[in-house]
Amino acid sequence: MKKFLTVLSFAVCAAALLCGAGCGKSPEKIKIGVSIPSADHGWTGGVVWWAEQAKKDIESKDPRIEIILSTAKDSAEQVNKIENLIVQGVKAVVVLPQEPAPLTGVCEQLKKKGIYLVVVDRGLQKDVQDLLVVGDNREFGRRCAEEMAKRLNGKGEILIMEGIPCEVNSMRVDAFREVMRNHPQITVLESQSASWNTEKGLKLMENFLQKYKKIDAVWAGDDDVLIGALKAYEESKRKDVKFFIGGGGSKTIVKKVLDNNPLVPVNVTYPPRMIAYGIEYAAAAVKGKPRTQEKRVVVPAEVITPKNAKFFYYPNSIY
Amino acid sequence: MKECTQTNREFSWKTVLNENRPFIALALLLAVCMISNESFRSPQNLINISRQVACMGIAALGMTFVIIAGGIDLSIGSLLALAGVSGILVMGKISDPGLALCAALTVSVGIGVLGGVLNGALVTLGKIPSFIATLGTLSIFRSLSLYMADAGTLSSSNELFRSAGSLAFLGLPLPTWCFLLLAVVFGVILKQTAFGRHICATGANPNAARYAAIDIRRVRFGTYVLAGLAAGIAAFLFSSRLNSISSTDAGLSYELDAIAAAIIGGTAMNGGRGSIAGTVAGVFILGIISNALDMWGAPVNLQGLVKGLIIIIAVLIQRQNNE
Amino acid sequence: MLPDPLLKISALTKSYSGVVVLKNVSFSIPGASIVGLIGENGAGKSTLIKCINGVTRPDSGSILFEGREILPVTVASALKHGIVTIPQEFNLADPMTVADNVFLGHELKKNGFLDRSAMRKRTRELLEKLHCAVSPDAEVSALSIAQKQIVEIARAINRECRLLIMDEPSTVLNPPEVENLFRIMRSMREHGISILYVSHKLSEVREICDRVAVLRDGEFISDAPASELTVKEMANRMVGRELNRIFPPKTHTEKSGIPALSLKNLSHGKRVRGVSLELHKGEILGLAGLGGAGRTELAETVYGIRARTGGSVKIDGVEKDIRSPAEAVAAGIAYLTEDRQKSGIIQSFPLARNISLISLKKYCSGPFIRHEKEEQSARGYMERFRIKAPSERSPIRELSGGNQQKSAIAKSLDASPGIFLFDEPTRGIDIHSRGEIYHFIHSLAESGMACLVISSDLEEIIGLCPRVAVMREGMLAGMLEGEHINEKEIMYLATGVQ
Repeated sequence: MKKFLTVLSFAVCAAALLCGAGCGKSPEKIKIGVSIPSADHGWTGGVVWWAEQAKKDIESKDPRIEIILSTAKDSAEQVNKIENLIVQGVKAVVVLPQEPAPLTGVCEQLKKKGIYLVVVDRGLQKDVQDLLVVGDNREFGRRCAEEMAKRLNGKGEILIMEGIPCEVNSMRVDAFREVMRNHPQITVLESQSASWNTEKGLKLMENFLQKYKKIDAVWAGDDDVLIGALKAYEESKRKDVKFFIGGGGSKTIVKKVLDNNPLVPVNVTYPPRMIAYGIEYAAAAVKGKPRTQEKRVVVPAEVITPKNAKFFYYPNSIY
Repeated sequence: MKECTQTNREFSWKTVLNENRPFIALALLLAVCMISNESFRSPQNLINISRQVACMGIAALGMTFVIIAGGIDLSIGSLLALAGVSGILVMGKISDPGLALCAALTVSVGIGVLGGVLNGALVTLGKIPSFIATLGTLSIFRSLSLYMADAGTLSSSNELFRSAGSLAFLGLPLPTWCFLLLAVVFGVILKQTAFGRHICATGANPNAARYAAIDIRRVRFGTYVLAGLAAGIAAFLFSSRLNSISSTDAGLSYELDAIAAAIIGGTAMNGGRGSIAGTVAGVFILGIISNALDMWGAPVNLQGLVKGLIIIIAVLIQRQNNE
Repeated sequence: MLPDPLLKISALTKSYSGVVVLKNVSFSIPGASIVGLIGENGAGKSTLIKCINGVTRPDSGSILFEGREILPVTVASALKHGIVTIPQEFNLADPMTVADNVFLGHELKKNGFLDRSAMRKRTRELLEKLHCAVSPDAEVSALSIAQKQIVEIARAINRECRLLIMDEPSTVLNPPEVENLFRIMRSMREHGISILYVSHKLSEVREICDRVAVLRDGEFISDAPASELTVKEMANRMVGRELNRIFPPKTHTEKSGIPALSLKNLSHGKRVRGVSLELHKGEILGLAGLGGAGRTELAETVYGIRARTGGSVKIDGVEKDIRSPAEAVAAGIAYLTEDRQKSGIIQSFPLARNISLISLKKYCSGPFIRHEKEEQSARGYMERFRIKAPSERSPIRELSGGNQQKSAIAKSLDASPGIFLFDEPTRGIDIHSRGEIYHFIHSLAESGMACLVISSDLEEIIGLCPRVAVMREGMLAGMLEGEHINEKEIMYLATGVQ
């Protein structure tokens, strides 16, 4: 009897499915899915914020388009979210993959369904996307190194704080070191990973301060890390570090550059705004008017100095 | 369908409703979601859900046994990570894709079983309360996987592995089949074998079980090994789907989801009562809610709120049922 | 002109799921008196108590307390009126002290903080009045059962109880402790407190109660002064018919051949010290002694629950090293535990699954259980032992105590033992079922089973067993046979005093 009831309940649901399949369709809108990591602070938080801005912007300009924003806390969840987007009938997907390897499979699948794919910031294991929007990691590393060497007058002992071990990080650090090889009187005392994380940046800086009694400059590599490193330096009450260079263009650091903070004389951009560019490209493509024929768009790394800082300062942004 | 007790009261609609709560809830939930959301309805979505819940579902099956016998296993998620990491590491060292695949499966399942053995030993021989013992192994297993993977994500270049993850028969993906098959096997063990009966007795009244010549230590040990086995299988399926495994994130909070699914499905937290079919219903309920919230555009961070509310409601209903 | 009764129950009726449990029950409890309440299991005694102390609400009727209607009663309002219940299993918090327990729920406070010294002082006063040497700071878990009972009584007095309901208070006490309890009860009566004494021990009821009320099948049968009733008369009224002797005739077995069970110097730490005895096939051997004498510990050592630290156990002449209940069962030993709720039955399991618990392998083909076989076997036992239950699938917790006990016996029997150790087989069971169990043990013995009956009920030991062993402080104090089996000689061996 109990089994019969269970079967009956499922039959009811099947009926609902069949009937539902025929009725109540919403008016045709072109749907674009955006799958990004979830975060409320830091660079990733900036991505989410810029994605929301892009959504508001594009939807108000063109009511035919509906942008579905979907965030995920780890790769496994991101794969689920992308599958959900596919089911909702999106015509294009913009992905900022948490990690390249786990996301490759599902991206291949959506390509097989003919969905336009834009990958932002980190590439996949296989180049299946229609368009790749990345920052210029090599130029980023190079610019940071050039600015540092300039301000050290080619001489000094420095420390490097790296990001999460991955291709993006390798490109930046290798480019940095290449430039530094041209300045033989600059010594890299040590290089460790702070995983692009403020907390880890603080801890790493504390360790560095303990180990090295004289430091000339520190490349924090990332603005979130820089905030942590600065805090550790401040608490240590040391006076030997001449300046820090971060990277990314967060409003806190840009403000310091704007205010002529002696410890933060310069910054190099790696804009989370690239997600917005990616979404704009996707919107243009689904309308049949792609903005570019390239398969790869590189967002340049620009140097921020006190002179031009005001153009890079977005006080309302999260990042 | 409470396999342990299977008592017979006079037939009445009230009894039927009482005994089948998780299934009725599942049916209602499905109906509501299907009617109200267009994207939810598509068959592809339902298939997606079944795949998405498969790994956690397998872990929940193992957890059900442990809970019915009166214990708990907080380490199942971390064990999954460790088993998956070990599997991929081994796979990377073997060149022949087919052999590598078999090796990965063997190693994952093997590590899972070993983890279960450790848990079982700590609880039965070490006489450490299961909450504390598995709290300890939770950290140990996670730490080992972080160490082995250098806190990163391990990926494999084995094409066979990746395609194994996407295999499908009759429309249902491989992980779903594994989940359903394992559910049937575990269900039979619980309902139809002496071991299953002993598990119920040990959980319901360990004293009475002991005096009835049941070796409760062996029974409890067995449940932990089964849970470890489930974790190992889930690890293999999990990593094949993504063709990689993140040592930090894999299986994180799986134990909580597994416990939630078991409780929603009618397993009593104190043991002695429960059913595998109920756990399956609980797994699907959690999966459907997560998916439906996503389709409705609810903020990701609120999903935990909904899940928590459902667990509390499920327990309140269960308590009412007992009285 | 009689004064108003303390408690007057009129036309109380209560049904559970369509089954009428109390039918128009009316009776009264006078002030300053001890009233016994007797009846078979299932007669409605617990339901009646629950209606009085607020745990359940009756469907209709009225309850007047000191002349005032107190329905609907809640647990809190009953306590406020001064109706205190001491349940059979006690309601004490084991890890807390005596004083804590006595004041649990209405602690004394000073300036918002607990006034520990005042509570301790008052507790000491109460305990002294009750002639109890326990310290107010002692942890309850360390007390003996009799002492715990006194703590419960102290708590009741502290709550200024006017009506004390005691449920089976003497089942767990030995004779000197029972005497002490009666003395306390009489003194409470002198202070104007009335006591409702629920018990199966008819001779005790007759001794201590002023009046005896009888319930049968939910109906109130009679309320008469105890002096006018004999034990036999009480039993008859409970059952509704003439009850013949409840003990089957004793048969004397030939003690020839190899004993079924032979213990030589068996020891388990300090609890069992060098006990030697023989149990023959077809024999019923009684094992008497005070609580704590080591009888249960002895049985548990033979059954493999406790480790043997010395001596030997021989089954049918073959020495066996039994280290677990599984090995004991394999050697043909069955053990009926003294606390069936805790270790005898699994409450949530249906009847059939309780019966098959030990012998489950019998019902399996391969790894799979054949449920029909299991249920068929249970039906067989239900018929053979007259176990009253709606079906073999009913949850066992719905059965009465007597039927539960019969099921527990069936469970042990299903494993085909040759030796059966009964530990307090009729504790908390109504007289009718008791008789059935006695006859049952008798017929088991007749068919060759070696039976050991551990009991604190002297009447039971004397009535059932042709040979009695008496333990004292872990050792065997002596063996009695024939006319030596009487209360005086047993108590002498059990206590070591005249």
